[in-house]
Amino acid sequence: MITRRTALGAGLALTAVASTAGFSAYARAASGAGGVIDALLIDETMDIPSPVAALIEARPRTVPVVGISLDAAAHERLMLVLGGSRTIAGISSGATLFCVERLGWDHGFRLTARREQRVDDPIGDAFRGDAAAFLAGSSAAAGSPALVRAYRPSRADGVLHAWVMQKSDRPQFRQNRGEA
Amino acid sequence: MKLPPNVSQADFTAALKEFASIVGDQWLFTSDDDLDLYRDSYSPLWGQSDERTASAAVAPDNADEVVALVKVANRYRIPIYPISTGKNLGYGGAAPATSGSVVFDLKRMNRIVEIDERNAYVVVEPGVSYFDLYDYIQKKGLKLWIDCPSPGWGSPLGNALDGGVGVTLAPYRSHFDAQCGIEVVLPDGTMMRTGMGAMPGAQTWQQFKPGFGPRIDGLFKQSNYGVVTKMGFWLMPPPENFATGVVTVPRFHDIIPMVDAIGRLEQAKIVQGLWSLSSPTTGTAAFAAHGTEPQPTDPKVVALLHAPGGVDMNKLDVAANAAGIPFWAANFNFYGPKKFIEAQWECIKDSLGQIPGAGFKLNDIRSLPLPPEEVANMQDLGPLGIPTLRTFSLGPMISYEGEDVTGHIFFSPVIPRTGEAAIEAMELFAGIARKYNLPCPPLQFPTAIFERAFLFAVGLPVTRSVTVNAKIRDILKELVGIAAARGWGEYRTAPAFYELIMGTYSYNDHALLGFLESIKDAVDPNGIMSPGRYAIWPHHLRDTTA
Repeated sequence: MITRRTALGAGLALTAVASTAGFSAYARAASGAGGVIDALLIDETMDIPSPVAALIEARPRTVPVVGISLDAAAHERLMLVLGGSRTIAGISSGATLFCVERLGWDHGFRLTARREQRVDDPIGDAFRGDAAAFLAGSSAAAGSPALVRAYRPSRADGVLHAWVMQKSDRPQFRQNRGEA
Repeated sequence: MKLPPNVSQADFTAALKEFASIVGDQWLFTSDDDLDLYRDSYSPLWGQSDERTASAAVAPDNADEVVALVKVANRYRIPIYPISTGKNLGYGGAAPATSGSVVFDLKRMNRIVEIDERNAYVVVEPGVSYFDLYDYIQKKGLKLWIDCPSPGWGSPLGNALDGGVGVTLAPYRSHFDAQCGIEVVLPDGTMMRTGMGAMPGAQTWQQFKPGFGPRIDGLFKQSNYGVVTKMGFWLMPPPENFATGVVTVPRFHDIIPMVDAIGRLEQAKIVQGLWSLSSPTTGTAAFAAHGTEPQPTDPKVVALLHAPGGVDMNKLDVAANAAGIPFWAANFNFYGPKKFIEAQWECIKDSLGQIPGAGFKLNDIRSLPLPPEEVANMQDLGPLGIPTLRTFSLGPMISYEGEDVTGHIFFSPVIPRTGEAAIEAMELFAGIARKYNLPCPPLQFPTAIFERAFLFAVGLPVTRSVTVNAKIRDILKELVGIAAARGWGEYRTAPAFYELIMGTYSYNDHALLGFLESIKDAVDPNGIMSPGRYAIWPHHLRDTTA
């Protein structure tokens, strides 16, 4: 198992990219380089098993990795990612997915693919294969009917979810207006 | 397409067309895929024929569009259901109180209309979330704090209208009481402002709550008399320091003098920060979000806590006392200048020191803001006025009756602020929990969120099983009946229980509900505004829902 700290040590840049140079520009650059996933969201609130960390590390180098958690600082980062992306993939707990999915709705996102795996079990081929496909931006995997798409909210702990969300044509509710 | 009750297909189609002409086609939602987003994830009626679902949703951009939409709805007698961010899970979410209603989704209206640092207030639209407001204050560097409930994605306006509460200082914790000035679109499309806002060009709308004449703001809390489009709130200045302090008392029945003593300090406005109960003996805290209590290790205490028939408090009291474990702890939050915190602590020691065996520990008085790395590792940021969603990552991670728990509903009675009532409620509700094998600690505690009464919030699990959810609804009904028999009423509930709870407020042949219905008939004769919300029905739907 690795935590965020060890993930960082392993070279996984859980960046605050969104809060620095501007996530949108980064995402556009990633898309322009041929990437399908605009950002990979990694849950900072749970341990990431080593095989999954390896998958993350093997992602296309153009895809920014953004750490997410359920606090105010991460929320601002997440808003930038959701506002500036068309397709995002994530590795997270169910609780984080539950929240990101609902926040994503307000930006026109829908969950299009998901695979789950108990953290305490050895990472299975199915999870590994789908997670790798999600991270590579494989639309074939993302569209597989065999995958359980809709996330049923659960309080079950110790489950790792790999998922993809894509922005639909639905208009975005969130507008950064600030003071009127 | 689902139709609103008592509305023809032709009228509904015509109304939707007019809605679209006001907001633009893209902001009218009628597909199943879109309307799925307005289901209540925590509904105890999920998947059943009586689950409350929308027929359509429309999302205006501003108050003028709300006025135009309401006029159309009123003309076609279309029931509408305004939501702010629609994320008050456990209390209905984005789902309407009456199936077939058109949801007025106000998330696009997310303007911070005015914020005044000097006089510490803000005026917001419904779509502004606690996160939005917090971020705005931080970015502008304003010397202001907000009081937020556990999930930060909620709307200050929506939370206040729902009767929501926070966890900082007493004057700000009751969010409706902290509001000052409402702008509301009435069911006939009239725009009205309450309080000083009724005066054109008012300079004190957010500074003087009573206004002139009757104070009617409360009519818009937990009701259905209008679409609130703006609301002002009093904010708090950022405190200089924060500290926690713990007072322990040794015996089970010491809770009685302890609650009395703290109550006097609160009534005198000496204690204003939220305090909470915990028990070193049972290893339970009032707020799970405040962290977990150390678990008792004394073998006799542990054995008594796990007795098959439930915990005998008298035996536990004796065993804990013999082991030198205090039965109760009161955990205080302090805010303000260091000398003010120290003075508060001295008053607490003077008062609670009258209880034999009381122990006192004031933790470090910390200068605010705390270092970011420390904040990042704290489980509960509410006491620091920082919104989070961390409550969703908390336990209990459970299943119930073999079904995955997908959410919760609350049984939330308000009980007297006395130790006697606390003991009675704790033992009563623990007995129900044992009876139905509900996941809960040996004792669950009331909280002191309200200024003068205890709130005894009990979360009940919701699943996706029709059978198990029916059982949970029956348990809640039993709890409500038990509480009502003692004169304890709920302060808030999920839509599935509006009638049940309103039925307990039955003094003088339901005189209160009769009055509310009279107002409903007067201001909303066509019954379009959130019919059934908090059991207030328009006249043409009353007979069918009795």
